[in-house]
Amino acid sequence: MIEMFQEWYENRHEYAKQWKEKTGGKVMGYFCTYVPEEILYAADVLPVRILGSHEVQDVTEPYIFAMFCPFCRDCLAQGLKGRYDYLDGIMISQSCLHIRQAYTSWQLHIPVPYSYYLPMPNHVQSPRALPYLVGELERFKRSVEEWTGKEITDEDLVHGIEIMNRNRELMMKFYETRKAEKPPMTGLEAMFMVVSGQMIHKDDHSRTIEDTMKELDGRNADRKVGQRLMIIGSEDDDTEFIKMVEDCGATLVVDDHCTGSRYFWNTVEPNGNPLEAIAKRYIERPRCPSKDWGERTRIPHILSLAKDYNAAGAILVQQKFCDPHELDMPAIKQALESEDIPSLFLELDVTVPIGQFKTRVEAFLEMLMEEDLF
Amino acid sequence: MKVAGIDVGAKFVKVVIVDDGNLVSRSSRLMGFEQKESIEEAFKEALEKAGLKKEDLTHTTATGSGKTEVPFADDEFTEVSAAAKGAVNLIPSARTVIDVGAEEGRAMHTNAKGKVLDFVINERCAAGAGSFTEAMARALEIPLEEIGPLSLKSKKSIPMNAQCVVFAESEVVTLVHQKTPKEDIARAIHDAMASRIISMARRLSIEEDVALVGGLANNVGFVESLRRELNMDVKIPEEPEYVPAYGAALAAASRAGGGS
Repeated sequence: MIEMFQEWYENRHEYAKQWKEKTGGKVMGYFCTYVPEEILYAADVLPVRILGSHEVQDVTEPYIFAMFCPFCRDCLAQGLKGRYDYLDGIMISQSCLHIRQAYTSWQLHIPVPYSYYLPMPNHVQSPRALPYLVGELERFKRSVEEWTGKEITDEDLVHGIEIMNRNRELMMKFYETRKAEKPPMTGLEAMFMVVSGQMIHKDDHSRTIEDTMKELDGRNADRKVGQRLMIIGSEDDDTEFIKMVEDCGATLVVDDHCTGSRYFWNTVEPNGNPLEAIAKRYIERPRCPSKDWGERTRIPHILSLAKDYNAAGAILVQQKFCDPHELDMPAIKQALESEDIPSLFLELDVTVPIGQFKTRVEAFLEMLMEEDLF
Repeated sequence: MKVAGIDVGAKFVKVVIVDDGNLVSRSSRLMGFEQKESIEEAFKEALEKAGLKKEDLTHTTATGSGKTEVPFADDEFTEVSAAAKGAVNLIPSARTVIDVGAEEGRAMHTNAKGKVLDFVINERCAAGAGSFTEAMARALEIPLEEIGPLSLKSKKSIPMNAQCVVFAESEVVTLVHQKTPKEDIARAIHDAMASRIISMARRLSIEEDVALVGGLANNVGFVESLRRELNMDVKIPEEPEYVPAYGAALAAASRAGGGS
């Protein structure tokens, strides 16, 4: 059953097209996980995250800056190549400039019936962030209503919240099992689980997690765990890289990624005002570094994850040219060191030099070995 | 106990045979297109020099970028750990080990046992590595062996800005057009390489003593530039290009149960 997640990940476009055919509903491509999917589910719209394909490409050069991160260029390339031609709309929530240009460039150069820019505040630590976002969510809701021609009632919103919360709680349970001495799944399998959830309907995804959970007992009992590692950084669905790391004699037991734990770590707490409850969830979620200031709240969160999941070392990855993440890395490295958790820093591109990275990872694992095994 | 360390580098394969901690023979071959043959030949020669047969070896450990290409190796050791272990064994005071080969430059911070505490490796660019000097010697129309001694004659420092082999070559061409003396260009080249390696190594804490290993340690011009730019002494073991292979042999001995 766990293989289903990888299948969905690899056939993401087929799934969305089939869903559309089956339901006659609209599909919304979104660029950043600060997009409030609750409102889209409330409107019976299927949100799918636009991600890259990790192939070398030559189509984006005239449409986006070359020194913008490889991820945002890879995303735009998918649109320019027509791979998302089934989308009825695209949207983004403000996060960083790079991915925002992928969105605006898409809007300019790839015809799509509907597009929406949601000004999600970056200064989420300000007391004004919540009322501001509530207002913006109201505007967004009205815009979706006009687009779909269907009113979104409070009951619809509550239903959207329920769909999202159920999925988050299940992913959380799934992650819990990785705390075990013998995690029943690899980091790669966990990544497929989370990322596929950003591409398919949550109800299908949640059902499959429930079914998968039944099969986890004693799974991977013969697999050598090796070093328990945490992976921290920017968008990363570089599955080939993750597989290489685990093949070197390690298991990724937890992460701080928007294609991982950051996506589902907190739920919406219903309080009678659905839009406010939704806004609160996005204001309070584990932060992306573009939103984590003045206080740096990621560090205590990362350290507690490392402790709870018993990580012996950490791999710090970031997209090349990603300033928000690069700014956080020295502080993260230092904080981990103070807890005796060594880290290895690597920079991701559209494709990674797997041979060179393998040497670094192997040397890092040798570094983590006990003195007498060396 | 007799063990072997094999370092399959980007340009050369190096084989070292160690008996109870003592180096008994070594051999190297240019890595051609037929990699397996080069490895076999170098291995055979090292065995012959030591008067040994394959069966006499208790354990063989491979290292280097082509370490997985050695069919008869018992296991592998990364080039990062191998260079550090070999260097600290030969120069016990070394805590920072710099290893510069044909395509890669590495720096390791190690403890007294030669265990790596932290490391950095050059990325996507060989401007600080040996193949760079080859390209530059070609541009200066001199044999590779002469570029080091030639640069020592220079009294003048000329900064080179290019960070890539190809662009650096065009800078060299500009210097040639300006009738810059060859020795000054040679020094500029070594200074540029040293500064590439040092800026990378500074990402670690550079703790003395500093040891330099790998093929580039044989280039006196590069060594001089490195000392000057670092403003520290740089210790170089004998036959520096064999140090990672030696480190792999030491790992082979400890893995076979003979201790290091």
